[in-house]
Amino acid sequence: MSDQDNTTESRTPLSREDRFRILVCIDGSDESYQCLRYAAKLGGGVDADIVLVYVRPADQGLRSGGLQVNVARENMLNWGLELPGIKYLKKGRDILIEMGIMGTDWEVKTTHTGVEGDPLGDNKIEYINEDGKEIVLKMKVASDVASGILQQWELGPYDIIIMGASGRGRGLAKSLWDPAVAEKVALNAPCSVLLARGLDVGHGHLICIDGSQRSMDTVRKDAYLASRCECPVSLLSIAQDVESEPEAQKNIDAAVAELTAMDITIANAETRVGNPVEEIVEAGPDYSVVVVSESNRTGLQRIFMKSVAFQVLRQSYVSVMVVR
Amino acid sequence: MNLTVPDRRSRQDRDGFGAKLKKLISDFSIHYMWEKKWFFIAMIVGAIMLNLPNPEGLSREGMIVLTMSLVATILFVTEPIPLPAVALLIILGQVFLLGSSSSDVAKTLWNDSVLFILGSLMLAVAVVKQKLDKRIAWIIVRITGTKTSNICFGISVVSGLLASFIGEHTVAAMMLPVGITLVTLTSDDPKKVRNLAAVLLFSIAYGCSVAGIGTPSGGARNAIMIGYWREFFYDPTNPETQRFIIDYVRWMMFAYPMFLIQLPFVTLILFFTFKPEYRDLSRAVVKLRAQVENEGPMKATDWVSIILFLLVLIGWIFVSDTVGMGTIAILGATAFLVAGLVRWEDINSGVNWGVVLLYAAAISLGVEMKVTGAALWVAENFLAILTPLGANEGFGLWAAVSALTTLVTNTMSNGAAVAVLGPIVLKLAVAAQESPIVIGFITAISSAFAYLTVIGTPACTIVYASGYLKTTDFLKLGWKMVLMSTIIMLTAAAIYWPMLGV
Repeated sequence: MSDQDNTTESRTPLSREDRFRILVCIDGSDESYQCLRYAAKLGGGVDADIVLVYVRPADQGLRSGGLQVNVARENMLNWGLELPGIKYLKKGRDILIEMGIMGTDWEVKTTHTGVEGDPLGDNKIEYINEDGKEIVLKMKVASDVASGILQQWELGPYDIIIMGASGRGRGLAKSLWDPAVAEKVALNAPCSVLLARGLDVGHGHLICIDGSQRSMDTVRKDAYLASRCECPVSLLSIAQDVESEPEAQKNIDAAVAELTAMDITIANAETRVGNPVEEIVEAGPDYSVVVVSESNRTGLQRIFMKSVAFQVLRQSYVSVMVVR
Repeated sequence: MNLTVPDRRSRQDRDGFGAKLKKLISDFSIHYMWEKKWFFIAMIVGAIMLNLPNPEGLSREGMIVLTMSLVATILFVTEPIPLPAVALLIILGQVFLLGSSSSDVAKTLWNDSVLFILGSLMLAVAVVKQKLDKRIAWIIVRITGTKTSNICFGISVVSGLLASFIGEHTVAAMMLPVGITLVTLTSDDPKKVRNLAAVLLFSIAYGCSVAGIGTPSGGARNAIMIGYWREFFYDPTNPETQRFIIDYVRWMMFAYPMFLIQLPFVTLILFFTFKPEYRDLSRAVVKLRAQVENEGPMKATDWVSIILFLLVLIGWIFVSDTVGMGTIAILGATAFLVAGLVRWEDINSGVNWGVVLLYAAAISLGVEMKVTGAALWVAENFLAILTPLGANEGFGLWAAVSALTTLVTNTMSNGAAVAVLGPIVLKLAVAAQESPIVIGFITAISSAFAYLTVIGTPACTIVYASGYLKTTDFLKLGWKMVLMSTIIMLTAAAIYWPMLGV
């Protein structure tokens, strides 16, 4: 059974497509639980579902000398011990209960899906309330963690993926040769991706705009997200030289008009002159999240053509959201 | 506020054919080409080498086998494709590049070493399924008491003694729940028992790792080296070469004392590196005792499985030189199946059969390295590099071989490391007029020094699956273990092994 087998649809007021769906990647780190707390702020309403996913890379038999690691895992289960992924996901669930996002009396549904070559397979626990709101704990097996997260998106779909970012300042060569899990997901996910670095909700979103239609879409989409978590919104437009500053100011004015029409209060709006990546990275620490538009390019082009979004992603001191 | 959920599908629906095609190509480039980059690099390296002129002293066949070995090594280390697929590529290479007939290649794939690997893996699953782990855990804490350092030493000793006979993966799988149970019964909060978890779990992993060298049945690498000695140096018509048949007891005479000497150092290094938060585990031990008491007294099936295993051990010690270690291992696995102590389905799902294929192909390639002269050519050139460094004989050569093996084994499985390096180092011994037995032992034993990475040894991989350890823990602790093991091994090679008449 997959996530698409939604038996609760008949009694939910909103269909899955109309619900705001958040995928939070849990790996047991403090960063991943910060992501979860942020997801709880975004997805606190009854119209939102939160799916916590832990991806376990499929075992390589040779690494364990030919004895499948699942023999050891089954032995752990026989002792009544929990596998690490289950433990991490349950801790996530407890955080949501503590925050009042979910109750202890919700309907529970458990699903196991066999995975070829891995008898423990995928496991899912769905908690559903009377309004159809779902909190899902999913333990998934995949060839690698990034592929598992992207496969989970396909089962969704989701509006946003939230996960911990890799260390700041990975060089272009390293990112190109051996991208970190977060970079792979940010590069390939079809939806918006929030990569968290010390995610602190209170300081608001900084939306970076360049005057393109895509960045105006970003303004609208982030306004929606920021409103969900009641985060203040600020705007930043960078002019590459002094002559371009009026154009940057024009971009800001257009975005202000757009947000005003949406009845959104703007905390701050500024233009800066200089290298876009450096200026955005420098402005970032005053905010919780830096919001950038996905570039027009696809796949490897984003890295090769030095997309501003992906350079900000690598160099930012704070969390970055790539909006799609 | 005038806000609605952004339509996540509208954008995809708006995309035209061109955009979809562009995305498809982009996805292909990312997901396939990039993920498989090491496969393509290996193939390009192979193609370049095959088109280079033959180096002096190396035949065309030798160059082909050398190319296949290098490509296989790149694929072993980087794993861009499933490792059993590397085995299949080796088989295909022997047929298409070397021109061997498929029947001849098939014959080189099976020998006693491969049968032994197959049988001991089946035995490993059978032993784990007997669920004797709780009783073993109780014996440990009954002997050691409740002091953390004593329990860790006890776990290392018992894990090591068992692993030296039945393989480190078996014991790691059995003992992992013991370690985790002691941790979780002490505290539910992983942060409060971070160092305690490290000392307990590494006591299992490194206790098993240092023991894997103790007997031929301790690991696949030992069986592979025994196979190479026989294949490279034994001539049935020459009684002089009988010394290259290393039986179970003779192997133990060389390696078992080394394992025993290393044991106390494991606990010392662990406690020097990680300071456990709890010096006494009384609470956990009391709870563990309650769990074990629920198991009730030993059952008849428990005794049968212990007797069967002891019979296998006796078979290995006393008759393996006549019928082969592989035969005894297969016999033991069959006995467990016939006695109904394990189901075939459990064995089928617990053994990674691809590993057997991989070792078979790697050994087959190693034999081709010898037959085509590629191993000797690499050995002579390696020796030429070592000569100016003064490492072309004696202690210097031993240290160089040990360093090379330690480097390789930390990047791939130790069995694969011995399969790849074995032919080269044995020919190196011949070229340097050193004892192939000493050099072979140094290689096989050094292949156990894969303490630095998670993937280095099966025991480390299994223990890492608990989720309590970080990859950096292995580095933090591993270099001290490498240093300790290397010093003990080189001392044994210099002082102890000559007493055994090598």
